[in-house]
Amino acid sequence: MNDMLLPFLFLLIGLSLGFLTDIQIHDPYSNYLSIAVLAAFDTLFGGVRAQLEDIFSETAFVTGFFFNVSLAALLVFLGIQLGVDLYLAAVFAFGFRIFRNLAKIRKYVIDQKLLNKSGN
Amino acid sequence: MKNKSKWMVSLICLLIGFMAAIQYQTVTAQPEMRDTRGTWEVREDILKQQEIQQNLLEKIESSAETIHEYEAKSSHGQLEILKRTIYDLKEKAGLTEVEGEGVLLRITPIFQENPNEGQVYPTLSPLLLSQLINELNTYGAEELAIGNERFTNLSPVRNVNGSTYINNRPLPSLPFTISVITEQPEKLKDYMEASQSITRLAFENIGVQVEVKQHLTLPEYSDPVHLELFEETGE
Repeated sequence: MNDMLLPFLFLLIGLSLGFLTDIQIHDPYSNYLSIAVLAAFDTLFGGVRAQLEDIFSETAFVTGFFFNVSLAALLVFLGIQLGVDLYLAAVFAFGFRIFRNLAKIRKYVIDQKLLNKSGN
Repeated sequence: MKNKSKWMVSLICLLIGFMAAIQYQTVTAQPEMRDTRGTWEVREDILKQQEIQQNLLEKIESSAETIHEYEAKSSHGQLEILKRTIYDLKEKAGLTEVEGEGVLLRITPIFQENPNEGQVYPTLSPLLLSQLINELNTYGAEELAIGNERFTNLSPVRNVNGSTYINNRPLPSLPFTISVITEQPEKLKDYMEASQSITRLAFENIGVQVEVKQHLTLPEYSDPVHLELFEETGE
């Protein structure tokens, strides 16, 4: 659990930095960013889950982050070129994975504690 | 977790947080409303507001004066002031006879000199009459009377079974006169002679002659005034 403290702190720092800089993305590019944010969250929750399962790999996390984000951006780009809302596919896939990861995290964090309590 | 990997993961978390924050800001940002008025327009707006302020101040002043008089005088004097106030208000509402200099508009039919075509006797439609009244008001008319009907702020212009009604009474057939009391009759006359509604009336075979009159008497509005729908403007 202590391993997660520093990343969490950095997450907060990143959030506050983002809010303080007052940067806004122009309308045509906002789709890219929203998908990228979704991919990033997917990676984040996946990482947390992996950490709880003790199978966390730094390489997988780092490559997964960049690969997912660039793939999502590519998908959006392709969608715009083809006139098909391909980003919906990315939204669906990432949304699904985020839910699954969150369910697993919940299982590890909350359910395990409850089980421990009832076991005692 | 190794120390190096910890920092790497933390850095990515920083990136994620940063992205999320920017996304949030982009989504919540309101499109900026730009003030595109030029200096001249701003100046004009300021002038307009100043005029409104001036008018309000004048109103406040006159009201305060009335209150002051009312407080200062004896009960007999108070009655006088009340009566005067009521008379003033009646005058404003158009419930009294008004005299003054102004403009007389003679609305007459125009007959085409074409014996082959039969011509319908022209009638003044409510739309055209409203337009004419609006134009008169725009160019500084203070009091209006159409035929023998005093036109107040509450007077309706309606189409009843194809004929034009004012104050719920039918308009006399052409020719009739519209009396207008104004402070600047010459100016109003000039404006009206070049106005759009006179052109439009001419299309309908209706002619308008504008005359300046030194002395005009406008009848009073004699019907009861319905004020049920009134409310404060909050000015």
